[in-house]
Amino acid sequence: MTVVKAVTCPVCGCLCDDIELTVRNGRIIKVKNGCAMCEAKFLSHASDHRPTKSMIRREGKLVEVSLEEAVRKAAEILVDASYPVLYGWSSTSCEATKVGIELCEEIGGVIDNTAVVCHGPSILAVQQVGIPSCTLGQVRHRADLIIYWGCDPWSAHPRHIERYTAFSEGRFEKSAWRTYINKVKALVGSKKIESAIRRLAIKSWEPAVARVEKSPSQYLSREGRKLIVVDVRRTKTAEMADYFIQVEPGKDYELFKAMRALIRDQEIEVDRVAGVPVEYLEDVVDVMVSCDFGAIFFGLGLTMGSAKLKNIEEAIRLTRDLNMRTKFIIMPMRGHFNVAGANIVSTWETGYPFAVDFSLGYPRYNPGETSVVDILLRKESDAALVIASDPVSNFPHKASEHLVQKPLIVIDAHMNVTASMADVFIPAAMVGIEAEGTAYRMDHVPIPLKKVVDPPEGVFSDEEILRLILSEVRKIKKERMEAG
Amino acid sequence: MELLIKNGYVFDPLNGINGEKMDIAVKSGKIVEKVSKKAKVIDASGMTVMPGGVDIHSHIAGGKVNSGRMLRPEDHFRDVEKKTAVTRSGVGYSIPSTFTTGYRYARMGWTTVMDPAMPPLEAKHTHEELSDIPIIDKASYPLLGDWWFVLEYLRDGRIEECARHVAWMLKATKGYAIKIVNPGGLEAWGFGRNVHSINDPIPNFCITPREIIRGLCKVNKLLHLPHTIHLHTNNLGMPGNYLTTLETMRCVEDMYDGGKPVMHITHCQFSAFKGEDWRTFDTGAEEIAEYMNAHSHVTLDMGQVIFTDTTTMTADGPFQYTLYTLTGNKWVNHDVETETSSGIVPFQYRPKSAVHATQWSIGLELALLIKDPWKIFLTTDHPNAGPFIGYPQVIAWLMSCKAREETLKKLHPKARKKSLLPTINREFSLYDIAVVTRAGQALALGLTFKGHLGVGADADIAIYNINPEKLDPSRDYEAVIKAFGCAAYTIKGGDIVVENGEVLKHVPGATLWVNVETCKPCEMEVDEGLKRRFREYWTVEYENYPVDEHYLAISRKINVKADV
Amino acid sequence: MMIVLTPIREFKVPIFAECISPEVFEGKNIVQIGQLPVYEGNREKKLQELFKIEEAKTAEGVAEPAITIQGDVSKLKYIGAGMTKGEIVINGSVGMYLGEEMKGGKITVYGNAGGWAGSAMKGGTIEIHGDAGDYLAAPYRGSTQGMSGGKIIVYGNAGVDAGAYMRKGIIKVHGNAGQFVGVGMHDGVIYVKGNCDGRAGSCMTGGTIVISGFIESILPTFTFEGLKKKVKIEESEVVEVPLYLFIGDLTENGKGKLYVSKANNPQLYYYERFL
Repeated sequence: MTVVKAVTCPVCGCLCDDIELTVRNGRIIKVKNGCAMCEAKFLSHASDHRPTKSMIRREGKLVEVSLEEAVRKAAEILVDASYPVLYGWSSTSCEATKVGIELCEEIGGVIDNTAVVCHGPSILAVQQVGIPSCTLGQVRHRADLIIYWGCDPWSAHPRHIERYTAFSEGRFEKSAWRTYINKVKALVGSKKIESAIRRLAIKSWEPAVARVEKSPSQYLSREGRKLIVVDVRRTKTAEMADYFIQVEPGKDYELFKAMRALIRDQEIEVDRVAGVPVEYLEDVVDVMVSCDFGAIFFGLGLTMGSAKLKNIEEAIRLTRDLNMRTKFIIMPMRGHFNVAGANIVSTWETGYPFAVDFSLGYPRYNPGETSVVDILLRKESDAALVIASDPVSNFPHKASEHLVQKPLIVIDAHMNVTASMADVFIPAAMVGIEAEGTAYRMDHVPIPLKKVVDPPEGVFSDEEILRLILSEVRKIKKERMEAG
Repeated sequence: MELLIKNGYVFDPLNGINGEKMDIAVKSGKIVEKVSKKAKVIDASGMTVMPGGVDIHSHIAGGKVNSGRMLRPEDHFRDVEKKTAVTRSGVGYSIPSTFTTGYRYARMGWTTVMDPAMPPLEAKHTHEELSDIPIIDKASYPLLGDWWFVLEYLRDGRIEECARHVAWMLKATKGYAIKIVNPGGLEAWGFGRNVHSINDPIPNFCITPREIIRGLCKVNKLLHLPHTIHLHTNNLGMPGNYLTTLETMRCVEDMYDGGKPVMHITHCQFSAFKGEDWRTFDTGAEEIAEYMNAHSHVTLDMGQVIFTDTTTMTADGPFQYTLYTLTGNKWVNHDVETETSSGIVPFQYRPKSAVHATQWSIGLELALLIKDPWKIFLTTDHPNAGPFIGYPQVIAWLMSCKAREETLKKLHPKARKKSLLPTINREFSLYDIAVVTRAGQALALGLTFKGHLGVGADADIAIYNINPEKLDPSRDYEAVIKAFGCAAYTIKGGDIVVENGEVLKHVPGATLWVNVETCKPCEMEVDEGLKRRFREYWTVEYENYPVDEHYLAISRKINVKADV
Repeated sequence: MMIVLTPIREFKVPIFAECISPEVFEGKNIVQIGQLPVYEGNREKKLQELFKIEEAKTAEGVAEPAITIQGDVSKLKYIGAGMTKGEIVINGSVGMYLGEEMKGGKITVYGNAGGWAGSAMKGGTIEIHGDAGDYLAAPYRGSTQGMSGGKIIVYGNAGVDAGAYMRKGIIKVHGNAGQFVGVGMHDGVIYVKGNCDGRAGSCMTGGTIVISGFIESILPTFTFEGLKKKVKIEESEVVEVPLYLFIGDLTENGKGKLYVSKANNPQLYYYERFL
């Protein structure tokens, strides 16, 4: 039995790297420090349902074949295509993404990562107005005002609050929760702590809700770190907040606008914005400009709201304006553990973070045109490779329909919905558990992923599989060139 | 492989060779005495042969550079490089993609480039990009001037512990030199503030920029690092800052022992501003040059402005914020916990702007008024004052009064009137150019195997289509621009990688880093208490912080022995 | 001389057809035009592999080169990009970036146009008789250099972000417009005869937007300036109905004018309390 320390968790954009794993007989049997999602992921590597053989569709059925045969078939599909798309990348290593980009360049395809369906609009907004941001430790050390906007970290990034924001302890900002957490930790297991914190949160910090006409002043006047949540519904995170602003669905944009006007001491000619009384907004804005260091974290509630990238543009402009008065930063809550890395690698090799089209022999980029969902909706692609992702279960129906109609190659550790519709399926090792690599946290800090156990026999990493396909593609192209 | 470069006019200042017609022999990637008859021959008759170019300061990789790329699709979508049988595709202009960066440097005959600003926490990112840049050798300087450990040790007067921590950091980040940016200002920027002189106390740390500069200068000496401290001054980009710069240079005068310089002030153009405000903005080049001509403990690089649309990016967060408020352009800020900050703002230098035009003039004035070319090197602080592909143009300005006059004509009249350039007749020779683009930079960096063509040096060689006996660079400066923009041959480690501006080979380049052997182990490596403090300071684990050597495509370790 | 292009088959993958532009065709005969390179997906093709190319007589005295496309070319991108003169007529729908950065001449589409039609155009005229896609006349990602001259008329509807970052020129939409019409505009005129999806003129610093139809609400960062009787669109066109005038966008210290029809927007009546 061995204990492996400082393991990085390959689940969400928090990329917690303090996980301790206990390994026995090549299996992970215990996970320490992680959240429930982390635990589930690490324990899943030994699941009995893992596919370990490559498969090819013959007469409508997936049949087991050798890896070489699957690689050959995949390479042929890609070489024959005039406009193939390569999609996924957010749940694999940067090293694999690099090979993917080289492959895409070789076959003149379009490479896109899952950012396109989550924080793609955030990237487009940054390209329009920039972004004042920082690493998460900066927030931990300095922030005395935390705002979660359109996101629910308690459910989606469970350790974000504890490791980096309101409940964390920094050099200049102490956590009101610290002593409490330590005390409980000494007494009980981690799961009990979580429920205890939640109980405490609900009891003692019952937040005021702007929509039900509670003035923020009394809730936000105390000393120390403060937490504000803005969302369309009362999430679990909202329950912990000092103050909760329930925004009218689809009206975040107007709320940002109004806040910006208030920061600039401009008159607003309406009484309510997005369902919130302007006088309450004035109080909230007062708290924002008088903090020492404020941080806004936003999620898909904003990027997928009615104004999409314009929501983010305006959120960033608000942050920019706040920097005239104090220090303020803003950061997207990235979902998949390495979606930031996929964007980063793509940017340094091609100049663009996602939706890169190599059909002309050089990188081109314009989401809306070169983004995979739009290409599928216009039925333009004629083959696809999907890696470490399950687009069929989350793309619009029409897009998925076109995706599976054309030749489809899937590389994944699990037999997900997309994989079950594939023409070629190649099982892969789980990166961060059975294969090493590098991933980038939501704040762009690179963190190494460890190989803790061996993959099932005959199963290779994404990087190795892609290299095999790439060299096969080059071989086929050479053969065809020589044959004229 | 053997190679013989025959009959070229060789400019090799470190070996005192000034345009002599001679042969250069290459074997196994090094310059050698002679080669066998089997050697491949390059006929360089009528051409200029120089060591491969060395760039002491060019932002080519890392988090900030990449954020700049991500920020500006409109910067590169019209400047593309198509995939060929041997090269990868990419995009260019002010922040080229990794492959394009390597190719474009190589096409100009540059073979060694130093990335000057690596946030230690994100060092893996810098190295991943550096390893991806083909052909050229490179290195990076970790930002250490606002690192909490440094601030605390210097505050407590524990210079030796500080030195050992810096040694550990150089190893952990695979870094090359100590980079200091706006010392103290970046820590203050954590709460949106700044420092305004080298004597301002830094909030929360009871220490001044002067103490940081002097402290790290001492550390640098204790560790015997090949390069000096590499400093971006306080108040950079502010009118009147030439006084801060002079004070900064003076504050380490006593540490000079007559040997190697003790400080490098980078992109000095941005630190040589006179005037009360932007309206009375003027050149401070004369005063800086006067000081430099009387002292030898400092080296500088130009940070020469090129009139173009570019992207400014520095670790100087507060300065970038000022630039954003001045221009209203899009703005990226990225502060890094416990260590540093950074900012990015797109910027267009226009000849018709009085301030930009004066900035252009300041860079050239510094280079021309400082008499010794070994004290000031050619850079554009890529991409801050202009992208590196502008070097041939800068070389022309240095070599030709006529080229300068042509540009002066296009300037804002106010700037033209203030410029000292019309009073300066100095024109650089090819030998001077070889000093400011290679030899001087290699010497300042302590890179003994680069920047010259003596036996044993790396076979990094640039051959240009310039016949020094026929071409008058002063008159025919357009030909100079053309020749330096498109090398006849670039040889890297004995490989012919470029011929007539065309890349022939995609080879990886090495990453240089300094491995300091300390007498005692660094406290960080042995003290469990410090490891705990590590977790309090950063949000990653101690084990996951250092850059493993496998991140370097080719690792080239330079060993030095420290006094501590 | 007029060149008539007829697609030989239905196109499935995107086609890059920058070469379909009057000045590229000018001075070339049919054979030479047929040899022009286009990309169909990642395959380099010749124009003649995709189109039947014919020459037709033009009216006497017309010297400008002209191109007519007969059929659906909605997969073709960059038709007429950068053109400075001449005319293109498309009898069918067309793909993205129609007349991108064009400087002169005229393009007429009897069908729909894809996104980014007239992207960052500098001069000339584009007439779209069907609908225009998103980002009509808008600049490329990351840029704020929008349309700086010329005229675009859309007889159908326009998508989101029509006239983004516009600096000069005129856009007329006879149908409805999506969200964010005239976002970030500096100058020029946008006239929407139909309804607007909202957030019109956000972040505008100057210029004029006129909305004759319905718009649910005005952004809170616009200030009510009063009631106007008429507004001039261009020399030959004046809208003479009562209009509310708003000035904004205040968060950008903007002085843009946003005119909204009074008759079609009774929900904005409460602004009249400021009169």
